[in-house]
Amino acid sequence: MSNYVVLSPATHKNTHVLTERGEAQGDSIQYSLIYPLEFRNIQSCYPIFFSKSAETGEFFPIALFGFENNENLFLDENGWSAAYIPMMVERQPFLIGYQGASEDDLKPIVSIDMDSPKMSEDEGQALFDKDSQPTEFLKAMMTKLESLHHGHEHNKGFITALTAEDLLEPFTLEITLDNGSTNQLMGFYTINENKLQELDGSTLADFNSKGYLQPIYMAVASYARIRALIDKKNALTK
Amino acid sequence: MKNTINRIVIVGGGTAGWLSAGIIAAEHFMGEKSSSSDHNFHLVLIESPDIPTIGVGEGTWPSMRSTLKKIGISETDFIRECSASFKQGTEFHNWVHGKDDTYTHPFTVPHNFNETNLAPHWQQLREKVNFANAVNPQSALFDKQLAPKNIATPEYSFHVNYGYHLDAGKFANLLRQHCVETLGVEHISANMTAINSVENGDISSISTDTHGDIQGDLFIDCSGSKALLLGEHYGVPLVSKSQFLFNNCALATQIPYQNSEDPIQSATLSTAQAVGWIWDIGLPTRRGVGHIYSSDYTTEERARSELLKYIAATASEDAAADATIRKITFDPGHREKFWHKNCVAIGMSSGFIEPLEASALVLVELSAAMIAEQLPANRKIMDLVAKRFNEKFLYRWDRIVDFLKLHYVLTQRTDSQYWIDNCDPSSIPESLQELMDIWQYQSPWHRDNYHVDEMFPSASFQYILYGMDFKTQLDPRFKRTDREAADKAMGLFMENAKRTEQLVSSMPTNRELINKIYKYGFQKI
Repeated sequence: MSNYVVLSPATHKNTHVLTERGEAQGDSIQYSLIYPLEFRNIQSCYPIFFSKSAETGEFFPIALFGFENNENLFLDENGWSAAYIPMMVERQPFLIGYQGASEDDLKPIVSIDMDSPKMSEDEGQALFDKDSQPTEFLKAMMTKLESLHHGHEHNKGFITALTAEDLLEPFTLEITLDNGSTNQLMGFYTINENKLQELDGSTLADFNSKGYLQPIYMAVASYARIRALIDKKNALTK
Repeated sequence: MKNTINRIVIVGGGTAGWLSAGIIAAEHFMGEKSSSSDHNFHLVLIESPDIPTIGVGEGTWPSMRSTLKKIGISETDFIRECSASFKQGTEFHNWVHGKDDTYTHPFTVPHNFNETNLAPHWQQLREKVNFANAVNPQSALFDKQLAPKNIATPEYSFHVNYGYHLDAGKFANLLRQHCVETLGVEHISANMTAINSVENGDISSISTDTHGDIQGDLFIDCSGSKALLLGEHYGVPLVSKSQFLFNNCALATQIPYQNSEDPIQSATLSTAQAVGWIWDIGLPTRRGVGHIYSSDYTTEERARSELLKYIAATASEDAAADATIRKITFDPGHREKFWHKNCVAIGMSSGFIEPLEASALVLVELSAAMIAEQLPANRKIMDLVAKRFNEKFLYRWDRIVDFLKLHYVLTQRTDSQYWIDNCDPSSIPESLQELMDIWQYQSPWHRDNYHVDEMFPSASFQYILYGMDFKTQLDPRFKRTDREAADKAMGLFMENAKRTEQLVSSMPTNRELINKIYKYGFQKI
């Protein structure tokens, strides 16, 4: 379980964050939430699908790392072997929120998950220096967290547009491994390419101006990554 | 006289009128864009601005899900705008002994019902587990007021089958708006002043006070129990069923929740009284409660005091004191026929019977769907379609009477003349008596369905029979020959127990789910 507390130099002057990636650091995840703004990078490494929140029923895009619960085929002895790591994975164990009297006066509030396996008292990156000033590591993390916030807003509009045009469809992926065993991937959604081809010019123009069109095609292109994922799985089950 | 049937006029705008309009219009208008240009089908609904709708019929069958989907209303809009909640069946209290007894009629059929009849196998377990819980996980959700699905389930899909409880007034409003704005139904707000006929007796038009004469090829009477067209104009009489089903009065009221986050029941609660029974329907915003009784066996005053006692016990003394009670009287039964000349009755104009199994709205759905599907191409074949329609719905009414009566004849109550008389053989339809005789030796299953579109599947009969302690004698031959089937049945009982546990631990409460629907809505997929 997570245990987020607001970040402060007083409470966290000795707190360090481990930056290595692996099973022990909580990286054995089958998929992660991603943002349309990073789809270009994501599709170079992972298949992009959509999943539904059990809490709200709303869709969110994901990058797929494995075919089973807690399976991340990108983890190996060197850590997380991929050219790009999704922002939602990168941001851990931090979280950003905004607080303020009005919409124009919002201040970012950064929290940290004290129960994360990435927490340490003496190893890894420090968050504050001797003068209680944020370290370069924390500053870089803050920048990432802010772009995450923008990604979140953009994503909301993106999902609304996709569902309004019925561009998502459920799918089941059945893969047969070299050793003959089969895996069934259910509960994910893809872009409905037939519906995509039927979109009229004004909708396409609207999508383009809002930055939705490129990520849609990036998602479609990403399906080619499923093959690479199967190969990884085959290599493991030999 | 024109030959083709192109103009349909619906008289009356309650739930029956607007639901019929929606079903027929969805079938004939939705494809309008792609169909040929000479498509000139027209649907008019005349609604009196001065006659309030009666607003009964707040429980539906699961069929309402596909009806709404077909009409093109999103489930999210429907639930938000009609104060709707999920109905997963009926929970009967005190129907068997009159005290502390409960059984359920869930909407989901027994596990693996198409292939296996679990009823005979349950006979050996009857002392250990009640029938509904043994064969189906749904009733276990009732006690905890759990929902039949969760927020990630697509609209109109489910984990366990469900219909709705709804606010009838709001439902008519939503349907009206959708019919007029999306389906192209013409809405005329006017009072009918005359019915005009042609030589062969057909209705040619309806005269109104503010909109002149409205011409039509087919007229649908949705004018309520007055049946202005079929009853008053054509004189088609009502066939009373009061010799079988005694109830002819209802006292209805609405009571608020004590707390806005109080649980919402998953089933209609039906609690038997000395005479009749009390319904209890939970909407997100309020409960609808009413006492159905027979004026031949009790007085309004006594029925009222029983209703108030129920409200005081299930809500509060204050709620009982504040209740505004409305009385509705009816002659239980249906018209001798429903389609006469070029006029067909849907809703209370066609008949009315106590809402013990919420048959009112489903009859509207079935009637309108048959009209939509079999809309006569021309006047010549209309009489044939009418004949079929009448045969089909007379059969359906008989089955409703049989099925409702079954709830009464199985009682062991003898605490009032009402219950004693209900078990008198002279008050039992012959068709039901025959079934009861057969069921003493074999439990109902697929062979008991005479029609593919039987209103009550044999599963429903099983739930009532075995819920009310009916004994079907085990065939002694069964034990020797059917060991394999018995083993399979035990496996199915185990599977059901596992699924029950899983559902009870994972489903949200109705209240939680309704709150989420208000906030996020359902996805279409």
